[in-house]
Amino acid sequence: MTSVSPGDAPVPVFPPGDGRRLGQAEQHDTLAARNSRLTPGELLTVKVRRSEAPEGGAVCQEFQVPYQKWMRVLDALNWIAENAAPDLAFRWFCGSKMCGTCAVRINGREVLACWEAVEPNMVIEPLRNLPVIRDLVVDRTRYEDKVASLEPWIERREAYVQFPEPLTHKQMKDASKALDCISCMCCYSACPVIGLGNLTDFAGPGPLVQLGQTALDPRNSPEKVRRSLELTGIFNCVSCYKCEEVCPASIPIVSRIIEPLKAKAALLVPEMAKHSFALRDIVASRGRVDPGELVLRVQGLRALGNLRRILRLFARGKIDPIRTLLGIKTNAAGAAGRILGNKTGKP
Amino acid sequence: MKFAYYPGCSARSTCAELNDATHLVASKLGLDLMQLDSATCTGARELRAIDPAGFYALNVRILALAESHGLPLMTICNTCTLNVLDAHAAFVSDPELAASVNARLAGENLHYSGRTKISHFLWVLHEDIGERRLRQQVVNPLAGLTVAAFYGCHITRPPGRYGFVDSRNNRALERLAEILGCLPIEYSGRTECCGFHTAAHDERVAIKLTGQHVLAAKAGGATAMVTPCPLCHTVLDSFQPEMEKDIDQKLDMPILHLPQLVGLALGLSPEQLKIDRHMVPAGVLDGYAATASTGLK
Repeated sequence: MTSVSPGDAPVPVFPPGDGRRLGQAEQHDTLAARNSRLTPGELLTVKVRRSEAPEGGAVCQEFQVPYQKWMRVLDALNWIAENAAPDLAFRWFCGSKMCGTCAVRINGREVLACWEAVEPNMVIEPLRNLPVIRDLVVDRTRYEDKVASLEPWIERREAYVQFPEPLTHKQMKDASKALDCISCMCCYSACPVIGLGNLTDFAGPGPLVQLGQTALDPRNSPEKVRRSLELTGIFNCVSCYKCEEVCPASIPIVSRIIEPLKAKAALLVPEMAKHSFALRDIVASRGRVDPGELVLRVQGLRALGNLRRILRLFARGKIDPIRTLLGIKTNAAGAAGRILGNKTGKP
Repeated sequence: MKFAYYPGCSARSTCAELNDATHLVASKLGLDLMQLDSATCTGARELRAIDPAGFYALNVRILALAESHGLPLMTICNTCTLNVLDAHAAFVSDPELAASVNARLAGENLHYSGRTKISHFLWVLHEDIGERRLRQQVVNPLAGLTVAAFYGCHITRPPGRYGFVDSRNNRALERLAEILGCLPIEYSGRTECCGFHTAAHDERVAIKLTGQHVLAAKAGGATAMVTPCPLCHTVLDSFQPEMEKDIDQKLDMPILHLPQLVGLALGLSPEQLKIDRHMVPAGVLDGYAATASTGLK
């Protein structure tokens, strides 16, 4: 790392210390720790959420499953189906983290049944945010329709420059991450915004990753990408990284898929990125965010609709209308202006 | 122990009480904070998506300011913390980016070489002050105060990077609450999202999401909630009347900034910590505040 470290070595991205890891040890959150907590033959308590249909009441049925060495959640489900509940409905095909059909929730957390070690006490539930067909089997239609509606393919009108086409790893770095997706829908189940139903038009992390496979490919035509992005509601992503936390393919969904797609949207459909441009302008001119100005610029007169709240915030000194209206700069304005430029970044 | 201190935007506007409380508590704990007054916004979530080059430059500039004083950087906002961590990580792994960012900073005679240690106040409490010293400083144990820890997102995720563990296993806030004498409660909202980052264009998401979390904290028996992030605080506290309207139920849940909870246990009064600047009254905490004899020295 030549240009970076003229003197001492750069600080590693994570300096040692335990503020962040505090709790990891006591919660036994490693595969080895989980396996060492159980001995072969020991009984696991497995509660499976079972139901006939979305409207039919769900019940939790409890099973005692004898632990076998290296037992996975899928092995426990298969043991139950073979020994205790032959009518238990669950999906799986490859058993090796490829097909993406066996995703379920274990103790509130989305996992692939084929790739998760069992725990002594488990509640197994179907994925959220999708209708349940029976037991652990969900109806994938909502997800698949969304993916299809985004037209996740490449369209181009111009002739190829040459064949084979020149394409670098760097140009494909984000799209190639998206290509790791196995459509297991763990992220779709974990997404809090999708969890709010039709409140927003957010397409959800899974469909965006599927779109990213082609929309982040430099060969795709901007016109096609624009058409798709318009349907994504992508700026409703709250950036919580819940999707990344559960992704069995370890795709950095927020930073490598959603943010690059947002960047494309800002370029191709700038009206979608109104909030982002407003923030950039405010930081560029004032140095720091003035919350009053941000809300006014994003919401327009709608912001003044909730007068009671405005008065409430004003009474506690949380907003400063004088500062907002006079456009008073902070002592960081000079630096921000030099770095971001004083002109709007809008194309 | 000296830190370059980056308060961010919220703690200098909507949550000014957080900045004041941080300074008070830091001086009680013997932390010497050098506030970076010329530091800009880190770009929140917006800038990093639409202008990555500008995003890296703003954040690396903050790191360079700290480095120019030879000090580690202390943050008090989750999103700022993740932004500077992300910028640092990109900077040290991409020499091309590093060179271009440094070229942008050269006009100010600033240069970053990747040596700034980044730490959120929560981690400083555990890593630099430590449990033993902290216990010695607790003159007003908040005995029996039930608190719900609300971590938020950006100091617990993305997983696998920057030392973050599976967010379910974070205990730093609960452990701290115990050291201060509180009883941390278990509830479903601990490491969930407050929805702040889309609230400027659609606050319904924040209201719906956070309403569930506050309700869960209340059901779990919490007297107050504590958060290490002013953005979470803004939603949890300022939007609470809207949440109550949405779920048609009173919540009356006082929300404390992390340094305010620490400050109460260190004997500072709610007035000194400006807890009265919050939207939700926190009178219920008066019983836990230090009496005058231990409070104001």
